[in-house]
Amino acid sequence: MKTKEQRLTREQVGGIVKMLGLTTDREFNCSECLQQVSEFAERQLANQPVGEVMAKVEQHLALCPECREEFEALMKILKAGQ
Amino acid sequence: MTQNETNWPVALCATDSGAQAAAVNALRELLHVGLRIALNGRSDVSEAHLEDFAQESLLRVLDRLDQFQGRSQFTTWAQAIALNVAFTELRRKRWQDVSLDALLADGERLADLAVIADDVLGAEEDRTRLVGALRNAIEKDLTPKQRAAILGELREMPFDQIVELLGTSRSAGYKMLHDARRALKQRLQEAGITGADIQSAFD
Repeated sequence: MKTKEQRLTREQVGGIVKMLGLTTDREFNCSECLQQVSEFAERQLANQPVGEVMAKVEQHLALCPECREEFEALMKILKAGQ
Repeated sequence: MTQNETNWPVALCATDSGAQAAAVNALRELLHVGLRIALNGRSDVSEAHLEDFAQESLLRVLDRLDQFQGRSQFTTWAQAIALNVAFTELRRKRWQDVSLDALLADGERLADLAVIADDVLGAEEDRTRLVGALRNAIEKDLTPKQRAAILGELREMPFDQIVELLGTSRSAGYKMLHDARRALKQRLQEAGITGADIQSAFD
């Protein structure tokens, strides 16, 4: 009998489900995201629409907590410079 | 010319060694200031860390100058690289004591059917059906390494650390994880669960 503590939490199972919901056949990896994220950040800051490439950045950021953490830090720097 | 108007790629490659050194120093200072803003308030970051990250970032940026495509400001592109350098190192330190055995054992927890409760996402029939199909797919369609990688991601373990522990390259590790997600998604779809069902399950 598994104890409740050993079970995955709602957030963890929800995390898997969310990952699957966002999964597509062709995705950016972290290196490809890093190459494009500066343009994405500037577009976000200027409220400009995202094109096909930037949509891939957006999708990767939704899936990858590490790249998202770095993107949020980049936005912090850009906003401080405004 | 103001700093924002500087043609950085040209200045950093200037043949005049004095001008080039000035540009390098200005870029190091700019990266240092950005890192200070981004990492402000973190107890695991000292002044010495900021200095090290700025220097390491500067070298990385100079090494990748030919990859700058001009699609953003140069400084934004350089700051993104600096943040990648800094956060990668901070994550590595945080997770450096996790062993491969611990990661694989964690992954095997995911293969244990009892580890995901039927009603974890709610008691509605469509949600319990989704959870049941997910458990089944995790058990039957994933390798131990794929399960370990997925649980490592859920624990917010750095991807670099996961692939290092699993003894694979970054690109191979990314493919392994992507294949795992696609296999799970396909299995859910075969069980009659659509992408919309998956999206709405956690709304």
